[in-house]
Amino acid sequence: MLLHRRIYQFLIIYAIGLTCLLLIKYGLNLSDYVIPGPVDIWHTGTEEFERYFFDVLNTLAVAVVGQVISIFIALLVGIAGRQATWFGSFIKVAAYNVQAYPIVAIAPIIFILLGDGLLTRLLIAAMICYFPVLLSVIGIMAEPVVDIEHFYRVTGRMRWQLEVKIRAFENLNKLTTVIVGSATLAMAGTIVAEFIAANAGIGYSIRVALYQSNLAKILVALFLIGITLSVYQGLLELTGYLVKKSWAGR
Amino acid sequence: MDAGNRRKNSSIKKFITLLLTTIFWIGLTQSGAADELITYRLKWLFNTSVVGDLFADSHHLFTQEGLTVTIKEGGPERDAIRELELGRAQFGVASADQVIRALSKGAEVVVIAQFFQVNPLQWMYRPDKIKINRLADLKGQVLGVTFGGNDETILRSLLAKAGLTEADVKLFSVRYDYTPFIQKIVNFWPVYRNTQAVFLGEKLRGSGDVFAFFNPADYGVRFVANSLVTSKEMIESRPQMVHKFTAALLRGWQAAMDPVNANQAIETLRRYDKDSSVETLQQELAITRSLVQPDAAIPIGFIDTASWKQTEQIMVTQGLVSTPVHVEKVLREIPQQ
Repeated sequence: MLLHRRIYQFLIIYAIGLTCLLLIKYGLNLSDYVIPGPVDIWHTGTEEFERYFFDVLNTLAVAVVGQVISIFIALLVGIAGRQATWFGSFIKVAAYNVQAYPIVAIAPIIFILLGDGLLTRLLIAAMICYFPVLLSVIGIMAEPVVDIEHFYRVTGRMRWQLEVKIRAFENLNKLTTVIVGSATLAMAGTIVAEFIAANAGIGYSIRVALYQSNLAKILVALFLIGITLSVYQGLLELTGYLVKKSWAGR
Repeated sequence: MDAGNRRKNSSIKKFITLLLTTIFWIGLTQSGAADELITYRLKWLFNTSVVGDLFADSHHLFTQEGLTVTIKEGGPERDAIRELELGRAQFGVASADQVIRALSKGAEVVVIAQFFQVNPLQWMYRPDKIKINRLADLKGQVLGVTFGGNDETILRSLLAKAGLTEADVKLFSVRYDYTPFIQKIVNFWPVYRNTQAVFLGEKLRGSGDVFAFFNPADYGVRFVANSLVTSKEMIESRPQMVHKFTAALLRGWQAAMDPVNANQAIETLRRYDKDSSVETLQQELAITRSLVQPDAAIPIGFIDTASWKQTEQIMVTQGLVSTPVHVEKVLREIPQQ
């Protein structure tokens, strides 16, 4: 149900966007070079669909791994930084500072160090994606669930693992929303990395299309990125729902 | 009630008077302005490749023609032809492949001058690693190429000419970073001969490396580079303005390319490019001169129709445009006074 809704909502958004573009095209009498016509987009779509589809899957695979890494790092940093200790504060400051540098400035350095392969894409995707996750994790983990935690504290049974579990469970909806949202950032991060420093993926194909001034190819790529991301986000939401159901059922 | 109507009528009269005064004032100030406002979109950033454009602007050659010109930098995400069509620019710089692609998609663009008679896009290579006496010598080599870029089209054309396929060579995807070339992972690297090649050459010389240039034109591939473009509507509806602009611009190029004005040209460039040393700019200017006017008998801005036709032919052969666009029909060189 969630998956279904995600897909048709994307299709509506894409259709609105495309219609607006075509209205501008015909309203201003622009050539296919500025904004491609429906026939041009359709032809390009049929010609490039297969290649771009596998490019998007390639990008998605990197984005998923990058997202998992970033969630893992964000959880580690968030859990370590949840306490109001010097170390907790240091972790937070370090995490904020790393994020302060724009990725386009850091990317060339990563590119020189790691080359234009998978590692560069992965690292940039993880870097773009992890900060919002981190902020949410810190926010959630630093906020005590007083009613429940109080009992364990006064009985002397509170351990840090239990504290993390309580806070995660009580905020599972928020965490799911953050993880679903971070999927978009992971995908965007991977595309940026491919655009700057890769020889594969849809970001790389978009760069080539841009060199060729081919907006029709870019529109086809955007469609495939959107639909793939919608499916992935729908699946993440579904997973979150199933996890919550399973935890609550215990 | 009457008093109310009178007040209302009085307000309307005041509003109309104010409106007419404003329109009159705008009309007066506009008609009083001698200069025509023009936006000129370049293809790339301010560097030696646009020295003539900058020279014309900084030496008030446009103003002398009664034109107020704003020169805007280009970049990978900018496209002068799109801006012409959207009315955001009146003139622009576009490469031949952009013009041909635009024509194939129905854009009404006209070429009025060609800046480079020799394409600055060439390859830098290490002759101690690769011996190139004929095109077939490229076989088995690792060749740097920007996928989707002009150099890919040119290189594929060269390979076809040599009877080689992609399987006979190894194509290496090139970015803005020169590390693979400096580290000798790739020994055949695309560069703009008059800009990138100068500082890259300085770097290589510093490390004792020997290098040479591979010019596709030497092997019969004459792919046209940057040209001055405008819209068909502009040239038909305002031919005088097009003429004035082109004349001023080409005067700027002629002056900038004249060795007598070398110091002035360098001075102009230094205003826009503060990072490059005077020595570097001098080298860049000298090479630019040899690419813009390799033969004194050929005037600056000359449109080489044969090369344009060959460029189109290459693009048709490689399937970059589906059908011929007959590019020669939009080549309209403006006669110089």
